[in-house]
Formats: sequence, structure tokens, C-alpha cells
Amino acid sequence: MGSCEEPCRGWGHYVPSPVLLLSLLLTAAPFGLLGEETRQVSLEVISDGLDPPQNLLHIHAVGTNSTLHYVWSSLGPPAVLLVATNTPHSTLRVNWSLLISSDPEGSLMVLPKDSIQFSSAVVFTRLFEFDSTNTSDAVTKPPRKSYPPYSLAEFSWNNITDSLDPATLSATFRGHPIHDPTGAFANGSLALRVQAFSKSGRPAQPPRLLHTADTCQLEVALVGATPRGNRSLFGLEVATLSQGPDCPSVQEQRSIDDEYAPAVFQLDQLLWGSLPSGFVQWRPVAFSQKQGSRDSAMPCQASPLYPTLAYLLPQSPIVRAFFGSQNNFCAFNLTFGASTGPGYWDQHYLSWSMLLGVGSPPVDALSPLVLGIMAVALGAPGLMLLAGGLFVMLGHKRHSEYQSIN
Amino acid sequence: MEEEDEEARALLPSSPVKAGRGASNTPDAPRALSALCDPSHLAHRLLVLLLMCFLGFGSYFCYDNPAALQTQVKRDMQVNTTKFMLLYAWYSWPNVILCFFGGFLTDRVFGIRWGTIIFSCFVCIGQVIFALGGIFNAFWLMELGRFVFGIGGESLAVAQNTYAVSWFKGKELNLVFGLQLSMARIGSTVNMNLMGWLYSKVEASLGSAGHTTLGVTLLIGGITCILSLVCALALAYLDQRAERILHKEQGKTGEVIKLTDVKDFSLPLWLIFIICVCYYVAVFPFIGLGKVFFTEKFGFSSQAASAINSIVYVISAPMSPIFGLLVDKTGKNIIWVLCAVVTTLASHMLLAFTLWNPWIAMCLLGLSYSLLACALWPMVAFVVPEHQLGTAYGFMQSIQNLGLAVISIIAGMILDTRGYLFLEVFFIACVSLSLLSVVLLYLVNRAQGGTLNYSATQREEIKLSHAE
Repeated sequence: MGSCEEPCRGWGHYVPSPVLLLSLLLTAAPFGLLGEETRQVSLEVISDGLDPPQNLLHIHAVGTNSTLHYVWSSLGPPAVLLVATNTPHSTLRVNWSLLISSDPEGSLMVLPKDSIQFSSAVVFTRLFEFDSTNTSDAVTKPPRKSYPPYSLAEFSWNNITDSLDPATLSATFRGHPIHDPTGAFANGSLALRVQAFSKSGRPAQPPRLLHTADTCQLEVALVGATPRGNRSLFGLEVATLSQGPDCPSVQEQRSIDDEYAPAVFQLDQLLWGSLPSGFVQWRPVAFSQKQGSRDSAMPCQASPLYPTLAYLLPQSPIVRAFFGSQNNFCAFNLTFGASTGPGYWDQHYLSWSMLLGVGSPPVDALSPLVLGIMAVALGAPGLMLLAGGLFVMLGHKRHSEYQSIN
Repeated sequence: MEEEDEEARALLPSSPVKAGRGASNTPDAPRALSALCDPSHLAHRLLVLLLMCFLGFGSYFCYDNPAALQTQVKRDMQVNTTKFMLLYAWYSWPNVILCFFGGFLTDRVFGIRWGTIIFSCFVCIGQVIFALGGIFNAFWLMELGRFVFGIGGESLAVAQNTYAVSWFKGKELNLVFGLQLSMARIGSTVNMNLMGWLYSKVEASLGSAGHTTLGVTLLIGGITCILSLVCALALAYLDQRAERILHKEQGKTGEVIKLTDVKDFSLPLWLIFIICVCYYVAVFPFIGLGKVFFTEKFGFSSQAASAINSIVYVISAPMSPIFGLLVDKTGKNIIWVLCAVVTTLASHMLLAFTLWNPWIAMCLLGLSYSLLACALWPMVAFVVPEHQLGTAYGFMQSIQNLGLAVISIIAGMILDTRGYLFLEVFFIACVSLSLLSVVLLYLVNRAQGGTLNYSATQREEIKLSHAE
């Protein structure tokens, strides 16, 4: 291990010891900087040689004219950096020894620096738990009693290498609190499943968000943890970097289309700025069962983004490593479920998905099946009316001819 | 009015029942009261009319209980939409058969009075079982309750119409039918807007939501069925009393059902059946599932969603008689049906593909629904010989119930897996099939030289020529 430490920690091209280079060679369309149809996606776990190992997952999505880097890490609170470059040859450099030091600034770099078109970060800082029993209408009022939150920076996480799945381009961070005096997480865990895509498509599991090659999906699942109240609601604090003095806003888009997420007519998205920029997109729905059927759907409320001081949040070393220490942070809270209806208490299960990406957010279109049915449903009577009209007109003529003969 | 008062006074002394009941006890009783007790008097008939209207109130009120409490039922009983819609399917199943035999049972087996009481009892017992299913947290019991309720519900409507004919034939019959229909719609509307509120009150007094709250709410809703049963008993008494006093015959549905007639049904009649089934399956199951649609897609509050979900019934209450008159005066039934179906199609398309205020679409749906009812049902009489009319109407109701039962289940399944947009597209396809049949009916009628689309004046001429 000692011999490996130097090259791994020092500057230079890193040599990942468990080389997990998954390449999907696909023809890429020349689509400019962003919005490429297909990408060659590889997932790499960048090893640090430490014990216990710290997780650093590099998702590297190469297109013809651009490269996207997603760096997920459970060093500190779970966080992701997203960096878009306008060259297919940009690379990520990691200086591990600096990264785990108290001042990690500059230990993560995407080179060449001038190729970076957009960069931002999302940090999952805290898991909240509220008691919902005393609230009559949790939709409008915030829950009254809240338990001390779990800081995700004080979680211990599994070794991500074990959960890396080359076939689905996915990996799972699974963690539980380091200090768990009540044993709430004795049989439970919080899992963050990260998945990348080489082309656009839609997963089979609700909420079936449409993804493209420019996006990355995160599924947060809380499984088996013992809630502290009979009807506990859980929430997640999400922090992000703001580009300017103002926080980015969460847009709530209403749509007519709920084909992929039955009875959910809303799509929420956070846009960091004008294009080309990044986005976080999610359906305001979470599920209390693994199947994610409609009867286990619960609402997901998002608070507006509010500016917050960096020292109030658990610090993410990778964010400081890439962006430095002078940053404006904004945070928002997601609350899953309501005091009535399905909830975590049903099966001690909760899952919620979001999409993280660069470029314009994917937009749902009516499915071919819907369009096909509509075409037939409107076309058939239309044609019939037309044919009928002709028939009547001709029939009328003939009728009048008969009359003239008579 | 003056004449009838005269008549009443003449009748009074010769009426022993009257003397025994009220008049002798209170010799100074106002004339209004005595008129109320005299079966031949208009005031008495109005009392009977009131009872007749409330006779159906309970069953119409409780029919849409599941729609009014959709979220609560699904949450408290932990069922998905498919299972929820079974509550409607179970109501329809017995009526697939009973539509043929309701008239027979009323005429030959029970008689109108006992028939009405028995059907009212079925409605009451059904609702109680339905509510007990909630209290005991047994969904199968709720389904059983809806089945029993269904046995009574539709036959009760037949009995109600028979009473109307028996008391008002040759007098104010059309108005009475119109009022009964309006009352039915009012029952549905009150239900839609009351049950959610009632649930929250019960929830407040019991301390928590849950299957018990649901059961108690439904049990309280069942009071309307008791009211209907009381009306049935009162009607039976008054009807019997009128028979004694006026030697009035017991009413008969006059329905003669001969299933062998089905093979003689003409193509236009089959087309009318298709129009009927395809149209109604896109209205009633939609209303059954509508509440959540309005809250989720349009962000309506629960009360607002209930209100808009009941607007179809609200509009139908006053518009049915008006449209009835319009169709009677103009004729051209197929064109009116065509208008109604096209409007419904437009309304469903608005609901499916726009985020426009759904009040527009639902008002259109309400108007077209009322128009269709007025134009479609009388058409049967034009294409069927009179002796087959009973069979034709029985068959039409039967396949309508079959369609509703099957489509309710399918609609629930579509909603659970594909969502509301797809469900709306499915309904659009149904209405479109109905539209296709209307166009075909027009063409067939034209080709065969049928009378379906005659204007009112043409019909008059034919009547006159037949008379000659």
C-alpha cells in the first residue's frame, strides 16, 4: 500500500487502483457544447489508499465536443460537483493528501481550466425528522415538533467500490450515523444511489424522470431506520452554491402530462443561472414502498432557497477543494409525506429521486401511444363525417334527380 | 284551483278515512290541511310528489359516496384506485340482470308498494353493510354492501317512475319526471359537497382519521336512506289509502320483457346502445375519479374539487327539463345527440390537454350530458315497436350498467399505472366511438329513410297522416 501512496496522492495523472473504466462507445452527434445525444460514460472510483477508504466517484461523460464531470463523494457530507467543459479531453486531477487535510483548497481540479463552461455543487447536509401527529394540515403549516437532525457529515459510509455496477452505470453510497446512541439505524441505512446515462431514456421505477446523456440521477432511500415518533416525517436539507448574491430559485412547472408519474402534474427544478448552466429536477413525489406505486405516493414539499452562511452547514471538503473557501451557499429543505396518507411509518421505507444535469432540463413530451390513440380517436369520426357529408350531398343530388324524373 | 277546491269539499263528507283521521279531531282545521289529506286534491298530490322525490334521494345521495370520499376511502382502507373503483363496479353488476327483471318483480311479484319498500330496504341495508365494512376495516364487506345497495338502487328508480305514472298520468307527468331527475341530481350534489365536511367533523369528534371515522361518516350518510325508506312506507300507505278512497288501481310498470325480442332489434337500435354505453362510461367513472384530478392537476382545495365535481349534476338539475322541451319542440334528435357528443368530446379534450380553468370544461360536460339524456333516450321509441319498448329500455340500461362496471375497473387500473392524462385519452376514445356511432346512425337512418331525425313538424305531419 505504501508504494501506491505517492503516485496516488501526488499531482499527475492518477492511476486508479481498482480501474473500473466502463466505456460505452457510441456514435455521438455533433451538438455543440452541451446537449449531446450520446456520451461515452465511465465510472471510476478514485482510491486514496486510506483505511477506511474515503469514497470519491468520478463520472466522466465524454461527448464529441464536451466532457461532463460529476464527482460524488462521501468525504464530509455527501456532495457532488458538476463540471462541464467544452473539450472531450478534459481531465480530473486529485491530490488526496491535500484533500483530506484541513485546507483542501485546490486539491481537485479539472484541466484545462479554461475549458470549464459551468461548475456547481450540491451538498446533502442534514436529515430531518419531524413529528406530524399534532398538525392537522401539514401541507400548509410546518410540522410543529422536530427531533434533532442527523448530520450527514457524521455518517459512516460503505466502500462504494462494492456497489459499483458497470452494467447500469450506477453506484450506491450507503451510510448510517457514526454515533447512534438510540440505535435508530441499527437495522437501517440511508442510501444514495447514483446513476449515469449514456443516452436518453426513462427508468422503469416511478417517478420515471426523463434523463439524457447530460444528466445523472440520484435516488435517496431511507430504509429500516427506526423513527423517533409514531408518525415521523423525514426531510432532507440540500445546499448548493449560488453564482451571485441571490439564490437560484426553485421553479414549479405545472404540466398536463402525468403519464409517467400518475396524478403528479408538477415538475420542480432548480436552475443555477442562464444557459448553459446546470439544473436539478425532481417530481414532488416520494414513495413509501419499493414498488413506487400510486398508493404509496406521498407529497414532497420543497422550501424556497434561502441564503445561508457556510459555517452553519457541515463543510464539504470536495466543494472547498474545487471552489475554494469563499463561497455563497444557499439551502432548501425537502419534506417527504404529510401527516395523513402514506408515510415512512408504513414500511419504514422512503425513496425520492432527482436528476442533476447540465444544459436545458429534459422536457416531457406526449408519448407516441397517447398521440396514436388521439389520432385515431379524432381521425376516425372526422373521416366518417367527411364521408358522410359526401354521401349525403351525393344522395341529395340523386334524390333531386329522381324527383325531377317523377 | 277553484274547481279542485269545490271537488275536495264535495269529496270530504264521503271520505270516512278523512273523517276518522284528522277532520273530526280538529273540526276547525284549516282547509289547507284537509286538502293535503285528500287524495284527489292537488295539494295531496304535491305531498305525494315530495315523498316520491325524497324516495330516490337516499339512493342517489349514497351512490356517489365513494366519489365524495375518494381520498379518505383509499387512505383509510389502504386500497389502490383499481380496488376503489370496484365499489362502483359492484353497484353495477346486479343491475346488468335486474334491469330486465325489476319491472317484472314490481308488477307481478311484490306489487308497487311492497316492491318500493323492499328495494328501499335493500338500499338501507346495503349502505349499512357498506359503512360496517369501514368500521370493521373489511374492504370485502364494503364491496358486499355496494352489491346489496345496487340490487335496491336501480330498481327503486323504476318503482319511483311507476308511482309517478300512477299518480300523475295525463296530468303533470313530464314535469314530475323532470323534478324527480332534478332531485336525483340534487342528491348527488349534496353528497359531493357534504360528505367531505362530514368526514372532517367525525374525524374531529373521534380524534383521528381512520377506517372507523370513514365507517361512521358513511353510517351518518345512511340516514338519507332511512329517510327514503320512510318515504316508501308513507307512499305505500297513501297509495293504499287512495286506492280505497278513489278506487285507484295499483300502479304497474307495464314493462313486458321478452328476451327473444333482442334478435329483432334493428341496426339503428344497436347503434343507439353503442352511443349510450360509450357515452356514459366517459361521464360517470370520470366523476367517480374526478375529485383527485381537480386537486392534483388544477390545485383545487378539497371543497372546491367537490364543488366542481358535482357541477355536472347541478347543471343537469335545471337544464334537463329545458332541454327536454327544446328537443320536443324541434325534433332532429340525431343532430342534438351529435351536438351533445361533440361537446363532451371537446370538454374531455380541454380537461386532458389544457390547464384552463376546469369550470369551463365541466360546465360544457354538464350541458352536454343533460342534452344527451333528453335527446338519446326518446329515440328508442322511434325505432322499436311499442310492444318491444320495455325490452329495449331494459336492455339499454342493462348494457349501460355492464359498460359502467367494466369500464370502472379499467379506469381504475389505467389511473394507477398510467395516470390521468392517459385516462382522459381513454375517455376521449370512448366518446369518439360514441361519435362514430352517431354519424353512422345518421347515415343509416338517412339511407333507410328512418324517422329518427325528423323535425317536430314532420313528426306532427306523420301523426296526422296516420290518423287519417
